Amino acid sequence: MEFNKVIGSRRSIRYFQPYKSVEREKIQTILEAARIASQAVNSNWAKAIVVNRDDMSEEDRNALKTPTTTAQLDLAPTWIFWYGDTTAPSRGQTTLKQLVDVGALNPSHGWSHAYVDNVIWTQVLTPIMSDPGTLAVVTAVEAGLAICQAMLMAVNLGLGTGINAFNAAKAKEVFGVPDHLIGLWVQLVGYPAESSDGGGQRPREPFESLYFEGRYGRPFERDLEVVEQLTAEGMLQPAAPQPWRQDEVRALARMFGLPE
Amino acid sequence: MTVDEVGQFATVKQWLSAFGSHWSRAAGEADQRRKLEVLHRYCEFAGRDPDALVANLLRETPTGQKIWLKRRRAEMARIDEFETVVADSDRRAGREAGNAVRSFLIHNGVALTATPFR
Repeated sequence: MEFNKVIGSRRSIRYFQPYKSVEREKIQTILEAARIASQAVNSNWAKAIVVNRDDMSEEDRNALKTPTTTAQLDLAPTWIFWYGDTTAPSRGQTTLKQLVDVGALNPSHGWSHAYVDNVIWTQVLTPIMSDPGTLAVVTAVEAGLAICQAMLMAVNLGLGTGINAFNAAKAKEVFGVPDHLIGLWVQLVGYPAESSDGGGQRPREPFESLYFEGRYGRPFERDLEVVEQLTAEGMLQPAAPQPWRQDEVRALARMFGLPE
Repeated sequence: MTVDEVGQFATVKQWLSAFGSHWSRAAGEADQRRKLEVLHRYCEFAGRDPDALVANLLRETPTGQKIWLKRRRAEMARIDEFETVVADSDRRAGREAGNAVRSFLIHNGVALTATPFR
């Protein structure tokens, strides 16, 4: 799929074909995409545990749900539990020097092993690690970048996907998750039972109210020719709800025995 | 409490109104009657009237309304049990009845769902 169309076609899918499992190579491809995401200090902040729904006991499965995620967790055949690794910056001294060695961080921009050891480690990474609030924010943002790539890859592979809340305390117990990992989202993966466009692109705030130029409050002017081009390329798609969406949702609810 | 009386409770009016508004169509008369009959039966099953069912699950706090989580779990289990009683040997019929009760609670702000058939 073309890149612009992948971005434009992503939706949070909540109805999956429960009987159709996802090919293992597709799951690996999703994880490979996450692994090479942008990451601060070049340390891997995102960790994941892949679980096949049907390999879990009913008791564990139910304990991991929240009341509004019950249906989609039951329907999706593959669950990827994403975690943020709060020890990632502790590897920064090594991983940053790797970037110096491979020509990513260069003397042309002021980088050296000495700068990493004497300044970045002591003045940046150590303070981050000693401030739980900052550490949690950085961890979540950095892991989020990887999760985003994982979602877009799932779309690229023709799968339905979406990230959902889960019972992190129970997951910790069931999967043996160490204390330094923060439970973030469970990414559900499967073949969509709903139309893959989910009834249209979701509402967003107007472009001009989100993005500014020069100073806060001065809207970045939106060029309608660019909008037309992106529409032609499938990145900007018809807005939700499409006229048939309610009928689709009702049909899905009836098929799966869900409330209306 | 009769079926007609069930329809007079504030939470039932809220349900029917929100349901019609959400789906852009009010339930037909026969469908609405069937739903009220199911809810009437559930109220007897649970030993509470409709307003009491909802009130039992929600609580006011200084920051707004919250759901009693343990009570909701218990209510969800009771709805599952109700389905079994109603179903006899027709699982779909049981689920349809259970979903009428779930719909009543959902449209009164109690988030819950059912385990999907698969």
